[in-house]
Amino acid sequence: MSGFVEACLSLARDLFPLIWSGVIIGCLYALGALGLVMIYKSSKVVNFSHGNVAGFAAFLVYGFSSGVLLELSWGSAVLLAIISVIIIAFMTYAIISPLVFSSDLTATIGTLGIGLIAQGATLLIFGADIVSLDLPVPRFSMSVLGLRMTGYDLTVLSVAIVTIGALFFVIDYTKLGIAFRAISQNPFAAEVCGLNLRSIHFFAWIVAAVLGVVGALLIVPTTFLSVTTVATFMLQAFAAAVIGGFASLPGSLVGGLLIGILMNLFTFYVSPEFSSTFLLGVILLALNLFPSGILEKVGGSRV
Amino acid sequence: MSDSGLSLTASRPVSGGMNLLASGSATTWATIVVLVLLPLILSGSWTFSLAVCFANSIGVLSVSVLLRYGGEVSIGHGFFAAIGAYSVGILETRYGLSLYFSLPVALALGVLLGVAFAWPSRNLSGIHLAVTTMALALAVPELINNADHLTGGYEGLYVSHPVVPGVKMSYQRYYVALLALIAVTYAVARLRHSRQGMALLLAKSHPAAADAFGTRRVWARISVMGISGGIAALCGSMLAFAGSTVSPSGYTLWTSIFLLVGSVVSFYGLSLLRALIGGAFLTLVPQFLSASGAWIPVLYGIALLSMILIGHYLPKLREGILGRHGGRK
Repeated sequence: MSGFVEACLSLARDLFPLIWSGVIIGCLYALGALGLVMIYKSSKVVNFSHGNVAGFAAFLVYGFSSGVLLELSWGSAVLLAIISVIIIAFMTYAIISPLVFSSDLTATIGTLGIGLIAQGATLLIFGADIVSLDLPVPRFSMSVLGLRMTGYDLTVLSVAIVTIGALFFVIDYTKLGIAFRAISQNPFAAEVCGLNLRSIHFFAWIVAAVLGVVGALLIVPTTFLSVTTVATFMLQAFAAAVIGGFASLPGSLVGGLLIGILMNLFTFYVSPEFSSTFLLGVILLALNLFPSGILEKVGGSRV
Repeated sequence: MSDSGLSLTASRPVSGGMNLLASGSATTWATIVVLVLLPLILSGSWTFSLAVCFANSIGVLSVSVLLRYGGEVSIGHGFFAAIGAYSVGILETRYGLSLYFSLPVALALGVLLGVAFAWPSRNLSGIHLAVTTMALALAVPELINNADHLTGGYEGLYVSHPVVPGVKMSYQRYYVALLALIAVTYAVARLRHSRQGMALLLAKSHPAAADAFGTRRVWARISVMGISGGIAALCGSMLAFAGSTVSPSGYTLWTSIFLLVGSVVSFYGLSLLRALIGGAFLTLVPQFLSASGAWIPVLYGIALLSMILIGHYLPKLREGILGRHGGRK
């Protein structure tokens, strides 16, 4: 009897910190997934270059602030990196926009090409070395109900809440957001009503790029920065978007949190070595159980 | 559900280059003759890279078959290639079996796993399948590394068992790979004229009609994945035999992406020449750029984009020119 109680206690002791850190990392996955879904919802393209471009941006912040390229303050380095990423998003869309309107699958392959170029550019400019990039976050940790929270955790949580809240506000209450929703529901009717498809697509690509940079900058302090760090992180974001059905913004938020928590539990209780295989299993299971997303209501066929 | 298929595949009739080999076209036969005679002129390092190029051409074919017959894009074929490569490597180093035994095993495993992957993903198409294949490719390196008692982990395996005893190994690597490539191209060309191939194409372009004729969409998907997985496994076993080593670094997500790049660069062609172009792009470009490795992804990316854009604009351009001629008449 006492053994059982002890087991329950130790489970609770492990479980809550695991879920907490899963939620934190899940917020980051959600930021990445939201970017993917924004692009997919508007232009039906899966942006495989998302991770590589965001990684390039993280390297740009490093380059602008550390003296490799420029010696700026952290804030202006981030601003400059965001501007460059917006330019990259602009150019990417300009290159693949003729494809978007003929075949979304071809355009999706095209984004793989952009991703390869971004990866090569990172290698060419910054080399294959590992660098460390730190965030100016408040360094403290406190204990709430036996849960250790660090300044980093709270920064991630608040940045994610503010960013995602702002995004949902824009999409729900502004004219731009209404246009975005109209286009994702029915591009043809939206165009008939006088909306410009291309400018809304641009809006989605730019928002996605900025979300990617925010996610990349927040993920880097947990590890180090190398050519593949952010690209690897974005793969979890892909899984999160898939769980959300790839076409639902709230779904991808839930998917991100779910992936964060599940991955954490799996690596702790089962094995840290099979995490990608686990991810594959989760994706296959999710796609078979909820083919159109975890938040999709049952009823009515989707053709 | 998702889309209209690739613009290239949709707008181009599938035959064209495909029945070249079956009808014994001059270009294909000339290519074969040149390739057979080439080792007599070239130095050893060239025959080695050409053999690897043939193996990669088979991999490019496997991606193109899936695209042409299934209308689906895969960035996970590195998985099937790894299966083929490791069947050859493991059967030789652990059990001392040569290619005569390991090649059929590799092929069977590739088909089986293609089917095994196609079943849970049978209802996915377009981007959903692409993302799933990506997850498949990502799982490969850790699976290999965790089975290190079989696969040799990071260090990999060394393949050196001869197929025909007494013949110089470098010739064997070259000719076996070439033979495999020709055989696969021939089989794919035959598939185009077979009932099965027709049924698959019908299921891709007119699912409802195919359903009425008794070809279920799910069945079509599973058999296409099986065929494509089998060819990719052959690619892997040839990579292992011709390249003489098998290691996990050869089967990452990049391998799968590069196979897709090769398929796009060869315009999803199924003929011998087209497959060779794709394979050569994957093998020879890194060799020329070996001094500056960072340029490889940039070049691949640019090649991918430009081929796709050419594929997009060429039919329109051709139409425009033809239209003008028509107007003059």
